[in-house]
Order: sequence, then structure tokens, then C-alpha cells
Amino acid sequence: MSAPLASDVPLLRAEGLTRSFTGRGGLFRRSRPVVAVRGVNVTLQRGEALGVVGESGCGKSTLGRLLLHLMPPTEGRVLFEGEDLATLSGAARRGLRRRMQMVFQDPYGSLDPRRSIGAQIADGLLIHGLADAAGAERQAAALLRQVGLEASHATRLPHEFSGGQRQRIAIARALATKPDFIVADEPVSALDVSIQAQIVNLLADLRQELGLALLFISHDLHVVRHLCDRVMVMYLGRVVEEGPASAIFHSPSHPYTRALLAATPSMHHRAKVAPLPGEVPSVANPPSGCVFRTRCPAARPACAEAMPPLETHPNRPERQIACWRAAEIEP
Amino acid sequence: MRRDKLRRLALPASLLGAILLLALAAPVLPLGNPVSQDINHRLAGISAGHWLGQDEYGRDVLTRLIWGARVSLSVAVSATVIATIVGTLLGILGGYFRGMVEIGTVRMAEIVLCFPPMLLALLVVTLLGPGAGTLIFTLAILFTPTFARVAYAETLSVRALDYVTAQEALGARSGRILLRTLLPNIAPPLIVQFSLTIAAAMLLESGLSFLGLGVVPPDPSWGLMIRGARTTMEQAPLLLLWPCLALTGTVLVLNLFCDRLRNALDPGTGGRSRPGFLRRLAVLAGAAEQPAAVPGLLAVRKLTLEVQGPTGPVPVVRDVNITVAPGETLAVVGESGSGKTLTGLAVMGLLPAAVRVTAGQILYTGRDGRTRDLLRLPERALRALRGRDLSMVFQDPASSLNPLLRIDAHLGEALRAHGQRQGIAARVVELLRNVGLPDPESRARSYPHELSGGQRQRVMIAAAIANHPRLLLADEPTTALDVTVQAQILDLLAGLKRSEEGMGMVFVTHNLAVVAEIADRVAVMYAGEVVEEGPVAEVFAAPRHPYTAALIASTPEGDAERLTSIPGRVPQAWAMPEGCRFAPRCEHARAICDQSAPALESPAPGRTTRCLRWKELA
Amino acid sequence: MLAYAARRLLVSLALVWVVATLVFMVIHIIPGDPAELLLAQGGVAPDPWLVTDLREKLGLDQPLMTQYWTYLGGLAQGNFGYSLLDDHSVADEIALRLPRTLELVGAAALIALLFGLPLGVLAALRAGEALDRLLSSLAALALSVPVFVVGTLIILVLAQNLRLVPAGGYIAFATDPLRHLGLLLMPAITIAVGLGAVVLRVTRGSVLEVLERDHVRAAQARGVSVAAIIRRHVVRNALTPVVTVVALHLGALLGGTVLVEFVFNWPGVSGYLVRSVESRDYPEVMGIVLVISSIFVLLNFLVDLLYAVIDPRVRHG
Repeated sequence: MSAPLASDVPLLRAEGLTRSFTGRGGLFRRSRPVVAVRGVNVTLQRGEALGVVGESGCGKSTLGRLLLHLMPPTEGRVLFEGEDLATLSGAARRGLRRRMQMVFQDPYGSLDPRRSIGAQIADGLLIHGLADAAGAERQAAALLRQVGLEASHATRLPHEFSGGQRQRIAIARALATKPDFIVADEPVSALDVSIQAQIVNLLADLRQELGLALLFISHDLHVVRHLCDRVMVMYLGRVVEEGPASAIFHSPSHPYTRALLAATPSMHHRAKVAPLPGEVPSVANPPSGCVFRTRCPAARPACAEAMPPLETHPNRPERQIACWRAAEIEP
Repeated sequence: MRRDKLRRLALPASLLGAILLLALAAPVLPLGNPVSQDINHRLAGISAGHWLGQDEYGRDVLTRLIWGARVSLSVAVSATVIATIVGTLLGILGGYFRGMVEIGTVRMAEIVLCFPPMLLALLVVTLLGPGAGTLIFTLAILFTPTFARVAYAETLSVRALDYVTAQEALGARSGRILLRTLLPNIAPPLIVQFSLTIAAAMLLESGLSFLGLGVVPPDPSWGLMIRGARTTMEQAPLLLLWPCLALTGTVLVLNLFCDRLRNALDPGTGGRSRPGFLRRLAVLAGAAEQPAAVPGLLAVRKLTLEVQGPTGPVPVVRDVNITVAPGETLAVVGESGSGKTLTGLAVMGLLPAAVRVTAGQILYTGRDGRTRDLLRLPERALRALRGRDLSMVFQDPASSLNPLLRIDAHLGEALRAHGQRQGIAARVVELLRNVGLPDPESRARSYPHELSGGQRQRVMIAAAIANHPRLLLADEPTTALDVTVQAQILDLLAGLKRSEEGMGMVFVTHNLAVVAEIADRVAVMYAGEVVEEGPVAEVFAAPRHPYTAALIASTPEGDAERLTSIPGRVPQAWAMPEGCRFAPRCEHARAICDQSAPALESPAPGRTTRCLRWKELA
Repeated sequence: MLAYAARRLLVSLALVWVVATLVFMVIHIIPGDPAELLLAQGGVAPDPWLVTDLREKLGLDQPLMTQYWTYLGGLAQGNFGYSLLDDHSVADEIALRLPRTLELVGAAALIALLFGLPLGVLAALRAGEALDRLLSSLAALALSVPVFVVGTLIILVLAQNLRLVPAGGYIAFATDPLRHLGLLLMPAITIAVGLGAVVLRVTRGSVLEVLERDHVRAAQARGVSVAAIIRRHVVRNALTPVVTVVALHLGALLGGTVLVEFVFNWPGVSGYLVRSVESRDYPEVMGIVLVISSIFVLLNFLVDLLYAVIDPRVRHG
């Protein structure tokens, strides 16, 4: 890829991202806004892979769409190479889309059922004027081969492919405009185990080859660890822990990260820890204070007073944690 | 399937074409003038010159019928075309941009829907006076909101799909997205609505003309002809019949065309048939009672299931053998399409109507020590076992509970179905407490939507164990749940295994780690066959089938830098390999593997494998 | 539940106001001088004297807002204006005739549901068999016959040829209850044919769809008998779409009374409307359209309440 421009400016930087949704209340009813993501900061360097992990309702998918400005943030801003996406003109923002792309979770919903896959892969090239019709067709064929399919498949419709093959097509479409940054929103969770490994490996290879920056969203810590340098753990719209992927995987600090890891079944050992009680509270009605306190084994009454800020861990400088008791509970 | 649907479309389509052709060709057909009168022959019967007779002014009925079709159809089609274009535009804009645009388009159009259509039409006719122009204008206004609504709803649902977001992410302009992505994908329901609306417009037009408020005499119109014939129906009842038949026939053909078109455009509604449980077809011939008791709780032997494919029956489960001992947990693990869920449903006798049992036995030994073959047991006898001896927990707890019934109704029904009459309320609360539902007394009176996903699955489990079953089948019971909740449910099931003495469990899953967590033995299924079976610890430590080994290696656990992946994909049920079904994806496959299907072999006591080369590979 | 009902009621009242305003506006939206439009006969320009007279009678010479307030004020007092033909109070005429129309609609809806619902369930349970094919074909046919054709054919066959029933008319219930009901039956059945066919088809489709749902299979796995599954898990769950479709057809049902009252000489408000339209008696047309449309809106409000009764999720939502 191109040489880094100004090395001090990260490729992508998000500050204080908050997104709330107003439920459709109807004519005579206003429902309370639901805050899906609150006060999230993200920094992503060129070629870096960041994993975002959490259970349903943690806001990880919303975060992915906010970073691509597929929905505007309620508060905060997203800077791509230092440029605020919100203040750009519509045309300038569309131009930037060439450099940031997305791969979706559901390989059945992410491809237009009525257009050939070749045409869909070529879309980005034509939209941005990167090739003429013949050139786009040639490049689409090359992209298909790059993701492990055959060039002759280009004229087929999506329904002729299996889930794993569709996910390859979606990746080819995202790669067409040679982006610097890709958001992958649970790209393997709808796939069978044996196919998941194919796609994870494909993403890892492409990242290496093309120097892509990757935001990989998943509910599965194991998969994230295989693919990512850093990991962010989210719970109910907040980041509760962030740091190097393998370090967090081997010795999680936040009580939630620990519980998540302990709850993930393993082929090698049976669960020893009692599972976390209760379920994720409703996003519409989050607990006061620390969002995790209602299920936290280490919670104290003081935790109900305020949400702890995401700060550098007192004993582990390479990671950040949002927990009032971070220093005490660390072994 | 699709071909068949298109063929069914042919009849109404050609009839419709004939009607349209007749109406279009009216001026060039050898017909008289539709308005020229012949008072001397008023109400004359059928004659050589007048195939359908003459009306009250002596005009030729056949001529007027065909010209009437022209008038009726042109009014209906013009109004519908206008309504389609305007309504679709309003609906798409409203659905895509939402907010103020939506209020200005769809919501504005919907105001028209506050009026019964006939009345709004009469209001306009009062002002503008009758006539074809008024009719087209009125009908267009009346049907625009319907199109706006359909287009709006479709746009909303298509817009939420990822492929539209993908277009935005690619940097496409709104115009390009609307035209190239949205419009083609919302077109099918609009096409159906178009033909439906033509029928509705014809009905309204003829109704208004019948009242004398639509087409103005002497122009021919079916409604007007019926109005005219009504006054003379005592003398010439046949005159009433012809326009009635023409009108009803045309609307019928249009409606039929719509129905078939909808079927052809929508792949979902085609194969809908009566569900199997109303009359279970899956009973094999032969006696259900087995002469000798079979040891263990459940023994599935050589089970083969088929579905009807495009070219003939396709086996989806072949030659499956599994056994469960009392108190044992057997995990059936496999990818989608492996036949693991169908095997479970076959045990319960709950197979979908499309799936047929063609061979095998499912031997179940009951509390009385007698062994019965569930595949040969009549439905009534099997129903007595369901929920009492055999229970099942399903994958999606949200859809497995009836949203209109309270929690206690679900549990009470399980108890009542097997004869309990007294103390049901108390037993329900006790069951809910046993599955760890907080505040069981008030939860019993809740509706399913008031519970969280994990709580709903606890309720499903409570219903399943209500009558102390001997065998519990759990089909991916934790797949729809979050990881931390999955851990709770696995914990609960493990606890129940201890408290319900002797209860066997079949746990169907795609997750090997969950297998390790919960099961004693595991059966690995691939492409409709069990490829390996044995104790979990042994199988995971030393798999004797390359598929099992590859599946274990591809699970993202451990510290390997790179995941091992299995190349290719699961073969389709109608295109199974001749020899070993895993051979095309197997790194150890030899020529022999492609030629002969491996038989079940036993590499060690209590273990089986379906691999020709297991000895060399071990 | 109460909050839900109150909310829906507010919306409905707002819609009634919208309907009233729209009925008022129609005459002003349509291009051209309304008075001239009303008096025009086949393109011949009307007598200017008559135009001025009519304009005064309808209050069209007043400023628009004044007209609007006078109109709304009148409505609030139950004053719908006066007939152009005979200066009768429109409100009085409606008060006399509306109950007869509502009786007809009620009877028709009752007959349609009484036959449509059970036959729809039956057709679904026998899906694909001869009985289902017969019922479905009959429903398709019934849906395609215009209501005035049904009425006319009933009169032709039953009244003219077989002389079984009178060809139409009306006798007050108080005068002769039996003959009143006898005369009600034919027009009510005429309307019910189409509506019943709609109910049958929707019920059949809805039941078939519910039969495939997971909770039905789950009930079966608990060993519940087929009859209990149909009763508790299928029919009730299948009702919501039936209610929706019946609600969508309420408009056609009310509009259908116009034709049926005309055919059977039923002296309701709808048939009367035809006479008013013919003589272009605008105040009468306005009054009747307004009243029936308001009833339509309020019926839809009742449908919303019915949803809540059937489905607890609506109640709580």
C-alpha cells in the first residue's frame, strides 16, 4: 500500500461517540430515547485490526455503522485521516467511501438477490469512476479469484451460492475500491464452523497482503483473538475494557470480560466457575451507576452511584478499564 | 417448483390476454355500431344477426358487450396506471427518506383512506357530474394511497436489508439506490397490487355506472347494461345475464391471475401443505411391539429419511444408528444440513410433512419395561408418550411459546394432557422454581413477551420436564442465547440430569465446545450420516474420522496462529458423492474413497467410525 | 389497556375532524366555480341568476374561513345544513335513515363471520382435499361477483322466477317484526357474500400459516391433543390477520350498502345518497358522506381495541 502520510495522524479516530434512538412513539406518545452507544473513543492505525466484542445489546454493530458514518452520531465525531466525516459535504463523503468499506453478518441479506454478483462487485468501481464497464468486469473477475471463487461465477445470481461463498463475494465487493479500512460486522457468526475458519483465514490473509485496517465485530472472543491486535469489550453501550487481544484473552481484568471468557464453553475443560447471574438489562432501561453492577460478582453499593470512566488500568499500563474496583480485584 | 407455478399462471394469463385483445380489437371487428338503435326489434331474442339478442332500444347486445369491455377496461387501466405511478413514487420517497418527507407523501395520501371509496367517488361525481373523465380522476385518487402504502411498507423492509446499506457504504447516490436497488426489489408486490387494483377499479366503475353515475349513456358499459336490463328483466331475463357474466368473468380472471402471480413471484408460499400432525403420514408398516426388550432407553436403527426432490426422492438422513442409555447424555453434533435436527424430530414423531420415513426402527423402552418401535406406533399412542416419556426443547424460545397464552397456560396444558387434574397451579409454580425462574408466582401469570430470552428457555424446559420424562431431546437449546445465558442454561440442564433420576438426554448442537461441556457420548453427523460415535473424551482426544478431526481443528480455540479450515462446502442433498460423502473435502482421501461408501466400523469398544482408512490414519 | 384505548380514541377523533375538513374542502379544491359546477348540465352554461342564488344558499359568497367556522360550528350542534331541493334538515333525514343502514351492515357482518370463520378454519384443516378446493373456488367466485350483480340475480331468481321472496322494500320492525327480518335478509345476504368470502380466504391462509409456527409444534411435543391445539394455539392466533383484513374491507362494506340499498329499495341513508347525487343536492351529499365516513373511522377504532383484546402484546406495547 501507499507509504504512511503523516504518521502522527491515525487512520481513524472517533471521539465521544454517542448514538441514541428515539422509538417510534406515534402521534400522542413520545418514547424515551434509547442510548445504544455512549461516549466511545476509538483509535485505529493503518493496518491495525481492532476487535469489538460483546453480547446482544452492547452496541457493537451500531458502533461499526457510526464509524463508517452510515448513521450520524448523536454526539461526538469521527475523523478519517483527521477529517471530520460529519462536516464533509455529501459529495466529499461519498468520495471517501471508496476508502472505507463494510462486510455484513448475514450473507443472505447483504447481496441484492436480483443482480449478478459480478455487477455487484463492480458497483464500487463504477460509482467512483475507477474503471470503465469493461475494466470493472475484468477487475471483478480478478477479485473473485482473489477471494477463492472462479471468475466464471460473475454472471450468476446470489442464490446460486452457499453462505460461505456469499460471504466471499461480499468481501470481494468490499475490496473492489481498494479501501484502507473495513468494518466486518459478525462476518462469520451466520456460518457453519468449518466455513467460519475459511473466512477468518481469508480475512487474515487479505489484511496481511493489502495492509488493511480492520474493525472486527464479534460476540466470540476466540475468533477475535485469532484475527485482531487489540480488542474492545463492550457492555450495554459502553466500552468496559480495551487492550492487546492476547493479553486480555489470557488475563482479563474487568469482571465482565472474565465472566464472558469463563462462560464461553471450551473443548478442553469443563466450566469451573458458576455462570453469571441474570441477563443483560434492557438498553432502554439501564442500571444506575456502573452498567454491569447488577450482574457483577465484585459490585459494591458505591458502584451504583456513577459509571466508572475508561481509564488506564492501575496495574497494567497497556490496557484501559472502566471499573471502580480495578486495583482491588486484580490478583 | 417455479416452472410449475409459471405453468399455473398460463391459463388466467391467456384468458386475460383474450379479453384485452377483444377489447382492443373492437373497432376492427365486424361489429355494428354499439349505439345505433332499432326500436322495432327491441328485446328481440337471439338471431343470426344478433348472437346475443337485442336490448331495450334494439341495439346489438354482443356489440355493446365488446365495446363495453373497451370502456370499462380503459377507465380501470388508465386510473390504475396513474395511481400506480403516483402512489409508488410517494411510497418510495416516504419510505426511503422518512421524517418530514414521509408525512408529506404517504401520510397525506392516507387521508383518502378515511373515506369508504364508493362515498368519496359519489362526492366527486356530485361536483363534477358523471362521465368517463370524472371516473378516471376519482378512481386514480382512490387507489393512489393503496400503492403508496404498499410501496412504503416494501421500501421500509427492503431498506433495512444489508444490501441497501452496502450500496450506501459504496458511496452510491440516493437516486442510484432508489432506481437500481430499491425499485427492482419492491416491484413484485406492486405488480400484484396493479392487477388487483384493475379488478377493484372495474368493480367500482361498474357500480357507479349501474347507479347511473358513471359512464354516461348511450356509451356502452357493463354496469349501464345491467342497469338497463334490470328494468326489463321480466320480459328478457337473458339480457341481464350477459353483462353480469362478462363482468364477473373478467373480475374472476383478474383475481385468479393475481393469486397465481403472487404465488409465482413469492417463493415462500408455494409448497405450503397441511402440516403432518393433523394426519401423521410417517407411520411404517408392521407391529410396534417388540418381542424382546432392548437394553437401554432409546435405540435408533438404520433410520433413513427422504424428501421429494426435483427429480425424485432425496435421502436427507441415511442409515443412522444411535443409542441412549438411562441417565446418559448423547450429543448429536453436525453442521447445517447434516440431518441432526431431523433425526431428533423423527424420534418425537414431529417430522415436517415433506419428510418421509422410509426405513429403520426407533426402539424406545418405556417405564413398563416393554419396547416399542416409535416409527410403527399409531399417532394416538405416540401422543400419549409425547410430553410424558419423551420431551423436547427447541432452538428458539421466542417462537416456541404461544404469544397469546400466559406462562402457566403452557405448563398447565402439559400437565393436563397427561391426566393431571388437581393442584396444577401449585405444580406450575414449583416447576418454574425448579428451573430457576425468579419470582415464579408472578411469572406464571406473565405473557411470553414479558420475559427475556433466557427466561423463556427456562419456561420451555420447565414444560418439558413437567411429567418427569424418561428422555429429553434438546435441539440447539442455547444457540439463540447470549454466551453468559447459554452458560446458565447448560448449568440448569446439567442440574436437571442429576435431579431427574435416570433421564436420558439427546442434545443436538453445532458447537463442539458445548458438547464437551454437557455430553457423555457424542455422535458426529455429516451430510445425513453418523460418521463417528463414542465417548466425548475419547473422540475429542483421538478422533477416528477425518471430519471429526478437521472440525476440532477448525474450532477457534488454543494458541495456533492460523485456524485449520475444511475446504469446500457440505454437498447438497441431491448431489451426494458416490463413495464417502466427506471424501471431496478430506485431506486423506484416496481414489478408493470416491468409489465405495464406507461401512460403519468399530475402532474400539463403544466407538464407531465410517471411514475406510481409519486404521492407517490412527 | 386504558391508555392504549384513550390514545386510539384521540387519534380517531382527530381523523373525524380531518374527514369533516376534507369534505368541506372538496368543493373548494376542485377547479372551477362550485356553484357553476353544480348547476352545469352537459356543458351548457347555467343561468347566472341561478348561480348567484345557489352561491348565496351555500354561503359561498362568504370568505373561506368564515364558511369553515360556520360549517364546523353547525356540525358541533348537529346541523348538517338544508337540502337544496326541499329545504329539509339534512340531519333529520340522516337520523331517520341511518339506523336502517347500520342494521343492514350489522346483519351482513354477522352472517359473513358466522359462515366465513368456521368454513375458513375447516378449509385450512382440509387443505388440498376436495372440500378445501370446493370452498376456495366458491370464495374466489364470490369475491369476483359485484355486489349489485348478486343483488340483481337474487331478485331475478328468487323474487321474479320462483316468487319466494318479495323483490325488496321495507317494513318497520315495530309494524311487523317477522316481515321486517324477512326483508332484511336478502340485502344482508347480498352484502355478506363478498365479505364472507374474504373472511373465509383470510382465515384459511392465516390458519395454515399458524399451523407451521414453532409454538404449535412445541404444544404437540407436550402431547396436547389435536383438538386442543387447534382451539388454543391455532384459531386464536389466526384471528389477528382476519381482523386486519375485515377492517380493510369495512370501507367496501359501507360503500356496498349504497348499491344494495338501491337494488332492494331499502330506505337507508346510503340509497338516499344516490338520489341526492343524481339531483346534485350538495348539502345532503356532504352530510351523508361525512356521517358514514365518521362511522367508518370509529369502526376502525373499535378494530384497534379488538387487536388489544386478542393480543396481549398490543395491550402492553
